[in-house]
Amino acid sequence: MDQLFVNLKHSILIFAGNFLPEWAVILISILISVTAIAVFGPVTMMYLTLLERKFVGRIQNRFGPNRVGKWGLLQPLADGVKMLTKEDIVPKGADHFAHFLAPVAIVIPALLVFAVVPFGRNMVAVDLSIGILFFLALSSTTTIWIFVAAWASRNKFSLLGGLRSVAQMVSYEIPMVLSVVPVLMVVGSFSTVAIVEAQSGWNWFVLTPWGLIGFVLFFLTGVAEVNRTPFDLPEGESEIVAGFHTEYSGMKFALFYMAEFMNSFTISAIVSTVYLGGWQGPWLPGWLWLLIKSYALILVMMWFRGTLPRFRVDQLMGFAWKFLLPLALLNIFAAGVWLAFARPVNYLLSAIIVALALFILYFANRPDMPKKRVYRYAVE
Amino acid sequence: MFGFGVLKGMLVTIQNFFASYFSKDHLTTVQYPEERLSAKERYRNFPFLVYDQAPEDPRCVACDICAKECPPKCITIVRDSDAEGKPLKRPKSFDIDYSICMNCGICEEVCPFDAIFMDHEFELAEYGRFEDLMYHKDRLLKPNDHFKKIRPTDATRIDAKLAAKTQKPAPPVGN
Amino acid sequence: MNSFAPLVSVVQYVLMFIVLGAAIVTVSIGNLFRAAIFLAFTLLGVAGLYFFLHADFIAAMQILIYVGAIMTLVIFAVMLTGKMQDPLVAQSNRQKIPAFIILCGVSAFLIPTILKAPWRTLATPHATTAANLGRALMGEFVFPFEIVSLVLLVALIGAIATARSDE
Repeated sequence: MDQLFVNLKHSILIFAGNFLPEWAVILISILISVTAIAVFGPVTMMYLTLLERKFVGRIQNRFGPNRVGKWGLLQPLADGVKMLTKEDIVPKGADHFAHFLAPVAIVIPALLVFAVVPFGRNMVAVDLSIGILFFLALSSTTTIWIFVAAWASRNKFSLLGGLRSVAQMVSYEIPMVLSVVPVLMVVGSFSTVAIVEAQSGWNWFVLTPWGLIGFVLFFLTGVAEVNRTPFDLPEGESEIVAGFHTEYSGMKFALFYMAEFMNSFTISAIVSTVYLGGWQGPWLPGWLWLLIKSYALILVMMWFRGTLPRFRVDQLMGFAWKFLLPLALLNIFAAGVWLAFARPVNYLLSAIIVALALFILYFANRPDMPKKRVYRYAVE
Repeated sequence: MFGFGVLKGMLVTIQNFFASYFSKDHLTTVQYPEERLSAKERYRNFPFLVYDQAPEDPRCVACDICAKECPPKCITIVRDSDAEGKPLKRPKSFDIDYSICMNCGICEEVCPFDAIFMDHEFELAEYGRFEDLMYHKDRLLKPNDHFKKIRPTDATRIDAKLAAKTQKPAPPVGN
Repeated sequence: MNSFAPLVSVVQYVLMFIVLGAAIVTVSIGNLFRAAIFLAFTLLGVAGLYFFLHADFIAAMQILIYVGAIMTLVIFAVMLTGKMQDPLVAQSNRQKIPAFIILCGVSAFLIPTILKAPWRTLATPHATTAANLGRALMGEFVFPFEIVSLVLLVALIGAIATARSDE
């Protein structure tokens, strides 16, 4: 069971190897991986939209979509048909070339990062030696296309959304990268496969003091990177209409949506790879474990969305620079201490460091609330 | 303690999520076309005309009060006349434009003959924008039984009133 | 692996073509904003070339720093330029001819040099891993590394001092 998909691909390749030259077999191997990702990504996205609508609906005591097919299972297809048949509107003053380019280009990094997600044992499209770095680098390019979309729309709300997006991405990129550093220090490799292998036998990094903090940091910054509530300032609909995709309709809008949902899936998968042991787990096959973990994280994201109101811009920036960034730096120190000492002492020491860091940051970040006003002449 | 409000809020939402599967109070949505809420008796929508025995003999006497009182002027009444041109106490045509009607219920209030009442019908979607929503006499006329069914309290009151009126000798006309 | 080599070189040539094409468009296109977009494509193509030259780490850094950070800054700067209000306005380019003459002079000097240079090639390409790079930076090149970090620190402090509003 564990190697189901790997064996499937292998048998196809052996079958093809009977009558095709070697380079063709390699080409087929690449094509199979690429096709699997190119199908898996959009299908995941389609059903994530349904899952989100169902989950948020239940939070708000509604049913969510339940008309198209059993439990609304065909709703994504209906949405797809609707999106495809919608009129594609381009504003008169828009930069047509950039307006077209941005939604198309934004999907490419979202699909490419699937390549380094280890879905199971031997189930990674490319085991890059720089896996995590590849993921971080590509997810940072999303900003440019959001920005291009915002500028090309020639709409002041779009532009505001784009500016907010850049400010947010630049700020959250730093704690995001720093929150992965402890794992890289412990594993000694950027490869996602090596990171998962280092966590075999319940040695999940989340079970260490620095890992717990790192997990929370990475997950929160990841939520911010994919612009999901409560970090959805670039598209804050109550303030700036729809932010950078105000002027997009039909399939172009769907592409933005697709990129967002695929990114939230990959960020969940990468967070579970880095901190939650990836496909490691008892009884069930590895790929199922990874899917369970990433869907659990996605549900937490949707839970956030169902609960939290949007940050104010200054709160957003303050949270990144005053809380997440110092905590990430101190977390690296805690991981270093954890590495330097022997087994029982290191847990204690790094736990103390992490607790101290949280304590200090908590008190340093306390909002200075104005004192309760006393009205001398007013009657209570 | 700042920051803990977030956790409290998350707890509330997840409680609602799980409760929506178990408790009926937490899932108040009615699956409309299949399930329906019964309309309240005092609910009012668009007006209809009442007849007692036959649709050819409505209660309406074409006095035109409702048409005059109607704020958006959606009622048009033409009084019927016999062969000699003498006006009769019944409408020749009675049209209400449902696309203009604003459901105020003033026509019902001002009608001295208890001939027009507000209906409970709300599924009125039509393909045509103008003709199909212009309700003529044939579509407006409904039997008294319908009125009894949808608004029993008002119907019994009005029926008793009308019965009392018919028992009394008719007041002399034309003094 | 040998039978696979032509495929790799085909991809490499396609990448080189993309890089060169995007670079030419970058310098010749009239619209500053579109030029910035094509510059992004050029940098992405270069990153792709690094990948195929077994320099994975540098490729990732190229994307992370040049495409992720510097391009964002460039587009930001372009957006804040006053003349960019109208997307159709041609960016004035009065110095086309002098620039071209200087370009010819430089290439007349550079191209023969590149062609004549004795490029040392390794029989088997060995990957520049992050570990090797880290060891080199922390060992052999620790002094320049520290100097660069000092320069960056000075730049950072300078930026803060400049941006700080006078009380």
